[in-house]
Amino acid sequence: MKRFLVLMLIALLGFGVALGQEKVKITFWHAMGGWRIGVIERMCADFNEIFPQYEVVPEFKGSYRDTLNAAIAAARAGAPAGVVQIFEVGTRMAIDSGVFEPVQKVIEEAGLEVDWGQFIPAVMSYYTIDGTVYSFPFNSSNPILYYNVDIFEKAGVELPKKPTFEDVYEAAKKIVEGGYAPYGITWPVHSWFVEQWFAEQGQLLVDNENGLAGRPSQTYLLSDAAKRIFTWWGKLYKEGLYAPTAFEAWGEAKRNFLAQQAAMLIYSTSDVANMRAQALDAGFHVRTAYFPVPAEVERHGVIIGGGSLWISKDLTPEQKKAAAEFVLWISSVAQTIRWHQLTGYFPVKLTALQALEEEGWYKRFPDFKTAIDQLQETEISPATQGAKMGAFLEVREYIGKAFYRMKELIDQGKSVEEAAEIALKEAKAKADKAICEYREAIGEPCP
Amino acid sequence: MLLLPALLILGLFLYYPQVDVFLLSLHRVALLGARKVFVGFDNYRNLFTSPEYLHSFTVTLIFVMGVVIPGLAISLGLAALANQKIRGARLYRTALIWPYALSPAAAGTIWFFLFSPVAGLVNYFLDQTFGIKPDWFGDKHLALFLITATAVWKNLGYNVIFYLAALQNIPKELLEAAQVDGAGAFRRFWKVTFPLLSPTTFFLLTMNMIYAFFETFPIVDIMTRGGPGDATNVLIYNLYRDGFRFFKTGLASAQSVVLFIFVVILTLIQFKALERRVHYGA
Repeated sequence: MKRFLVLMLIALLGFGVALGQEKVKITFWHAMGGWRIGVIERMCADFNEIFPQYEVVPEFKGSYRDTLNAAIAAARAGAPAGVVQIFEVGTRMAIDSGVFEPVQKVIEEAGLEVDWGQFIPAVMSYYTIDGTVYSFPFNSSNPILYYNVDIFEKAGVELPKKPTFEDVYEAAKKIVEGGYAPYGITWPVHSWFVEQWFAEQGQLLVDNENGLAGRPSQTYLLSDAAKRIFTWWGKLYKEGLYAPTAFEAWGEAKRNFLAQQAAMLIYSTSDVANMRAQALDAGFHVRTAYFPVPAEVERHGVIIGGGSLWISKDLTPEQKKAAAEFVLWISSVAQTIRWHQLTGYFPVKLTALQALEEEGWYKRFPDFKTAIDQLQETEISPATQGAKMGAFLEVREYIGKAFYRMKELIDQGKSVEEAAEIALKEAKAKADKAICEYREAIGEPCP
Repeated sequence: MLLLPALLILGLFLYYPQVDVFLLSLHRVALLGARKVFVGFDNYRNLFTSPEYLHSFTVTLIFVMGVVIPGLAISLGLAALANQKIRGARLYRTALIWPYALSPAAAGTIWFFLFSPVAGLVNYFLDQTFGIKPDWFGDKHLALFLITATAVWKNLGYNVIFYLAALQNIPKELLEAAQVDGAGAFRRFWKVTFPLLSPTTFFLLTMNMIYAFFETFPIVDIMTRGGPGDATNVLIYNLYRDGFRFFKTGLASAQSVVLFIFVVILTLIQFKALERRVHYGA
């Protein structure tokens, strides 16, 4: 009986202490799935230890799109999340939704300081609109080319560090004709790559300076740049060098490459760490190269992909401070280095980059540097800053599906050029319509 | 009075959302509610004048027929086979019912991996044996066939359970009498067994139709995402895409209403036309 009373007392004390230490709790909704969930959880656990007055609760909400959906729906229901990870192309929608507050403002009002100059300029330029920093850079990536070194050696083919469309075509042809692999190259049928190829050629995706000078009203899907992309894509498909995937099937493309059915893979740098490990498991070596571009154009650079961290508007001031501390901590040099080394997303802070170089990390793992080099050689212009449009998700669907239309026409016997032109024309019609429908819905119809 | 709790829940979770959806369908909504503009029946007009949406109807009809008719036929056959007194009958029955316990997403993923054109098992074997490597996800017809097959496979378990139970409820005397009268196995099945199974068949027809219209969404989302092009863009998928990918809430709500009315009409037709032919009570 006595022991029971003592235990009860201890329990009550513990309860009282817990109540006394009221942590400021915020949720962190992210889309980092698979093996990355554990990484995020560990990082949040570390933050909670270092800042015992705060508690960040990470929740994996599914795809980027699901996360955005969940965030907006929750805010409308009056229960907004604290920090939300939103993909780059959701930027315009996130602003229009009215759910989030510019991160610059939140940090200032929390009385904290941040040196924006410490971040890679290309990254900052994506998330800064009209001089305000809306979201905090976190996981930034760009597309690179992975290739199976063993197959290339066997076939006696070499790939330059900065390959062109021609280089890739020749390499693929040699490998497939020599029987070294069933396919030369694969990549997911996804609009992201098309958008990147536009940027590399200095081509705007939409008008009004890519949506930066004002809302766009049409796409440039019938530009020469677009035709160059699709004709090359169509040629690779027609000659059996490219392995098509299901729509936006990232997993399928990666599997095709890891199963050594395709000698090259165009993919995101965010999988560098994982790709190397899985390739070794599968018994081959993988190296990376720059994203290929048409031979006749100068490289303009790439658009940063990935996502950034947004802070909700309807939070208490304490919660906003917690959110501000969290985003500042997760972008500190140590955490940036950690995130980069564990994934492949490049370090968004220049100081972190410097530290990694001095430490010799890139000498040991040069593949992690490919995306960074590519990014640092990017000239900042509206084309590489990334298009901003509310209807981006719908436009992406039409661009991606244009490949299947072109494929269908090629299968029916049309020439690649003709198939590409028809597919692009149809995609442009649908995309332009989508842009104007969104503008009508938001109250600023197309002129 | 006792009905009140049930009515409350129904009201809150079924009737209120339905009314809300109908009201939403009369608006043009931006970003899940940032802006709502009343547009009357514009959304409906857009739907019925859009060739993509009408194409969606065609795809869905083919898909539903493909899921319901072969689904029931195969299930009946399997149930009849599993109904025999053979060794391992229990094992076979469990194996047949198993797919029903999977979530549609899991079923979709399994078939997606198996039929992956480049690195999947099925194409590996087909290549080794016949030298062909069908483009399961790139060819319009193959893609539609594949999701139909997956949907049928997933629901076999459900149908088999009901058919097995019904088969076991058929009085042996009737079958013996028919046998004595000289009816062969085939005759016995069609003239005695099948009519006595008609209540079950009728029930399963409705349930499979509902399954095919609404519960096959994960299969489409995981395997083809409506592609290639719009070849597998069934109505429920188009709804999801417009609502949650493109954030066109008003349009998606309109599609929801149309789909609902369509299925109700189909079910009514089914009841009117077929119920007469159901033989209740053995």
